[in-house]
Amino acid sequence: MQAHTERPWHAVTWLIWAIAATTAIQLASSPVYVVLVIAIAWLVVAQHSIDGPLSRAFPILVGAALIFAAMRVVLTAATTHGSSEVWFTTPSVGMPEILGGFDVGGAVSGPVVLQAAQESLVVVGIVAVFAAFNAVVSHYELVQTVPRAFYELGLTVVIALAVVPTTIEAVHDVREADRARTGGRVVRKGRLIRQLVPVLERGLERAVTLSESLDSRGFAHGGSTARQRGAGWLGLGALVALGGAFVALVGREQPAALLLAGAGGVALVVAVVLSSRATHRIRYRPRHVSTADWWCIAGVLLTPVLLVTLVISGDDATFVWTPSPVQWPQIEIVAALAFLPLLAPMTRTPSTAPVPAPEMSVA
Amino acid sequence: MTERVRPATVYALVTVLGLAAFLYPFWLPTGSFAAQAHGGDAPMWAAVIGALVVVALALEVRRGTMNGAMIAVLAVLSAIAGLLRLVELPGNNAGIFFMVILAGVAFGPRFGLLLGITAMVTSAFITGGLGPWLPFQMLGLGWLGAGAGFVGRVTERLDPRIEVVTIAAYGWIGGFLYGALLNLWSWPFLRGEGATLWRPGLGFAGTIEHYWSYYFATSLAWDAAGALFNALLILATGLALLPTLRRFAHRLEPAVAFS
Amino acid sequence: MSAITFRDVSFAYPDGPVALHDVSLGVEAGELLLVVGSSGSGKSTLLRAVNGIVPHSTGGRFSGEVTTFGRRIEHHRPRELTEVVGFVSQDPEAQLVVDEVEHDVAFALENLGMPATAMRRRVEEALDALGIAHLRRRTPTSLSGGERQRVAIAGAIAAAPSALVLDEPTSQLDPQGADDVLAALARLNADLGTTVVVAEHRLERAAPLAQRAVVVADGRVGAPTAVGAALAAYAGAPPVVQLGRLLGWDPQPLTVRDARARAAERPGPEAPTGADSDTPAASGDVLAAARALTVELGGRAVLHGIDVAVHSGEVVGLLGRNGAGKTTLLRALAGLREPSRGSVETRARVSYVPQDPSSLLFSPTVRREVAETLALLGRRDDAAVDAWLDRLGIEHLADRHPRSLAGGERQRVAIAAVAVGGAEVLLLDEPTRGMDAASRHALERAVRDHAAAGGAVVLATHDVELAARCATRVVVLGDGDVVADGPGPDVLSGSLFAPQVLRVMPPFLTVSDVEAALARERR
Repeated sequence: MQAHTERPWHAVTWLIWAIAATTAIQLASSPVYVVLVIAIAWLVVAQHSIDGPLSRAFPILVGAALIFAAMRVVLTAATTHGSSEVWFTTPSVGMPEILGGFDVGGAVSGPVVLQAAQESLVVVGIVAVFAAFNAVVSHYELVQTVPRAFYELGLTVVIALAVVPTTIEAVHDVREADRARTGGRVVRKGRLIRQLVPVLERGLERAVTLSESLDSRGFAHGGSTARQRGAGWLGLGALVALGGAFVALVGREQPAALLLAGAGGVALVVAVVLSSRATHRIRYRPRHVSTADWWCIAGVLLTPVLLVTLVISGDDATFVWTPSPVQWPQIEIVAALAFLPLLAPMTRTPSTAPVPAPEMSVA
Repeated sequence: MTERVRPATVYALVTVLGLAAFLYPFWLPTGSFAAQAHGGDAPMWAAVIGALVVVALALEVRRGTMNGAMIAVLAVLSAIAGLLRLVELPGNNAGIFFMVILAGVAFGPRFGLLLGITAMVTSAFITGGLGPWLPFQMLGLGWLGAGAGFVGRVTERLDPRIEVVTIAAYGWIGGFLYGALLNLWSWPFLRGEGATLWRPGLGFAGTIEHYWSYYFATSLAWDAAGALFNALLILATGLALLPTLRRFAHRLEPAVAFS
Repeated sequence: MSAITFRDVSFAYPDGPVALHDVSLGVEAGELLLVVGSSGSGKSTLLRAVNGIVPHSTGGRFSGEVTTFGRRIEHHRPRELTEVVGFVSQDPEAQLVVDEVEHDVAFALENLGMPATAMRRRVEEALDALGIAHLRRRTPTSLSGGERQRVAIAGAIAAAPSALVLDEPTSQLDPQGADDVLAALARLNADLGTTVVVAEHRLERAAPLAQRAVVVADGRVGAPTAVGAALAAYAGAPPVVQLGRLLGWDPQPLTVRDARARAAERPGPEAPTGADSDTPAASGDVLAAARALTVELGGRAVLHGIDVAVHSGEVVGLLGRNGAGKTTLLRALAGLREPSRGSVETRARVSYVPQDPSSLLFSPTVRREVAETLALLGRRDDAAVDAWLDRLGIEHLADRHPRSLAGGERQRVAIAAVAVGGAEVLLLDEPTRGMDAASRHALERAVRDHAAAGGAVVLATHDVELAARCATRVVVLGDGDVVADGPGPDVLSGSLFAPQVLRVMPPFLTVSDVEAALARERR
């Protein structure tokens, strides 16, 4: 008996949490704060993660990001030669002109290494936040929240995710059938084709059955109505505006660029709304963003707001760490406290009790 | 007439803008940013632009046929391609590429584009890879799939073996380009004066030099292995998989004749 | 005026042979019509033409008229007929779209843009009509086949259509699931008045439920008549009907109860005494054996220390409920599962044919598929390939693409592809699932021949009739233990696995037993 865990937070709440945390990292990129955010992400995953392969992915993803970060620090240290505070010197090799003509090795300077480490850690932080997001959110719910304008693409992803377990089973069945065919022995030659073709064929045949089920149950995409056409033109207009924004950036006209980009964004939003209205689907018992969710969202958004306030008030000395000269990064208590609202999702624990039948309430 | 011009314009603009957003390290001038600290925002802004571009693309793509058969076949192939990404291969992406490319060849450019997008999203869900890099991955794989569709239109009439070799060559080049472009997203996080780091305002030639050095040292070997594996997979499986896929093509656009 | 009418309908798939020839048919409102025919006869095409999947979703050349509750399907696509006809096909795993049962049932209603309150009510009604309200929050992957099919049916009737069309809904299910689905259909037809058109191979259960039946062969359709009359001449009729045909009973019985009544009025031949009965010859050497075999899967013991031996010349019928361990035992004997305790001893080659033939097939022609197995084993023997194609009655399909064949034919190809490897012991897992009568006969013949030539065959199956016809020995598994093990007639006589003929006229097991006794009497 497999009960659906009632997740305490809406998928949108989690998405806003992830965005808030990422923004916080961008605002205060000193390693102490980034490590703080990573720790918060870890705590959230520990409490909220959904059982399954994705929750196990969290440490793997963070680990992989750390390895990449280390690689880049080494690379930077070997190729960037500032003159101050040399830690040690290695023998250097000159690169041929075709690859840039610089020297690899030589003086490894402290500030360079630490600066590279700081910036790489920011990437690790972003990876950690989104890995946590993946581990705690219900993907099905997330796709359901997508605006109706993208309904078909969302449905495709929903079905693809639903088909994944049967595809894995198909792979097992096919591998076993292949072994059984030769009396339990594994014949390696040509094995890829012998196993790939049946999995693909089974999948495509299943797709045919599925398409008949979709057709019989009334699935249809919206035709070419006035709203759809309007949405189409607005989309085109938005792209032109964005293009203009880029051109303005190159021409160093920053205000014009921002204006055009803003116009483009607004046009896209209107296009999405129009396209959504063109579809006549009504969602069955959609999960609404509850009051509790709004409180959580407000709480989580406090963090970037507080950080921005500190920046404006000039109290942001510790936000960016400049390691030249080499020194420990400073931490300011007030700034650190500003990150605590990111813990808001921990105010509710997920329950694993089987869900009782709901009353006849109107969605 | 507008019915043909508008989609074409949208796709063209998406390509140009997407590339521009990808390639911002190359052309972003120094004067645009007030302080060095804000240079670090550039990747995030690029991600936002990338997301907007994908939204515009998704809106446009919706206008054409999306019947039940297309959704079902897209879903099943996305699941297979997404799962292939879990397989540990050099370059990490080879599994998903060859599936999208072969399907693009069999079903056409529009299908290839859609499959690139949905397969990437599905595999992001499966592998836990949702993040600000996703719009670029979606666009990259979408282009790869669409390009395969165009290649397929040309190679349909060729001898099957020649066709498979051509597609494998396309897959090799595409794999490389994909790796190089995706790497660009996170490169500018490292800023500074070093020879492999990014500085806004270096000018086109200077930035290319720096990026090339960076790419050579970090990802070149990785992406080369991935692209090569991609091509090998296509060579090994193309002859068997293409006819299989093509057998189902008629269900995507059923031709009915009444008498 | 019939509710569903076909008038001179002909149809051919794109680049394919003609599937329907001049079909004319009328289905009355509120009836339950049974559609009977072998694989590839055009049954599926006929059913899909009722709501327009043929020709709108499949493509092809269509002529004639189909009218469904007043709507011409030539002018309406399937999605426009959602509120008129619901459609369910045979694969329980491939029809559900969404990850939660309740939301999947609501899918059709969402597409129709129904207001939220109406949707809620309809979904509750559909869940109750199928008796699956307790499953509403479950994910489809956690459900059994029978439950999934009922969810699919609920999804099809959520829009309250006037008719429901089902293409072999129970062929992939175990007997319990099949019973549940058929009972639900009978309820829908009786209580809600839904017109039901259902194609089935499992006629033992389905025949009594229908008012009329129609036989489809080679793309042509006979006129709908009473079920007994329609099945009288059909090769795949259930045993009680065949018995009635043989003994000249009138009217044709469809259920065991009716048949008993007929048998009381007009008793059949005398039961043979011990001397006459055909006891199977003493079995030969042991070819494969499991000794004190325990197999654990996922921490749970699926087989508890069982002893089973397979002798040369035997056909062993392996019976048991779903989950009793049949497939696990077969896999262990084939060397695909390691025993946790105990051992598996094989003194001959053992080959295993899995339940789903589509896991095996990958070659472009049937002949190449069968020859491939030999190639993998490092041999080449065209004579053996031809022999097996012949034995299973598929030599006329040798150059067709295996995946373009219908269900029963595909399974025969898979069996040929494995058997050609020359293994002495053949393990067949549910070989007759979804098979039509012609394929079953060919299979039974091949199995008997293989055993007679000194090999052995183990058939894991739910099909009691199959075991009654073929098996010399029957082993029953229950919850991982051997519950019964002995000569076929003895085991089947005592148990709840009694075949129909046994329940009507003990001690006969099959129709051929009765026929043989009749022949003896006339001598």
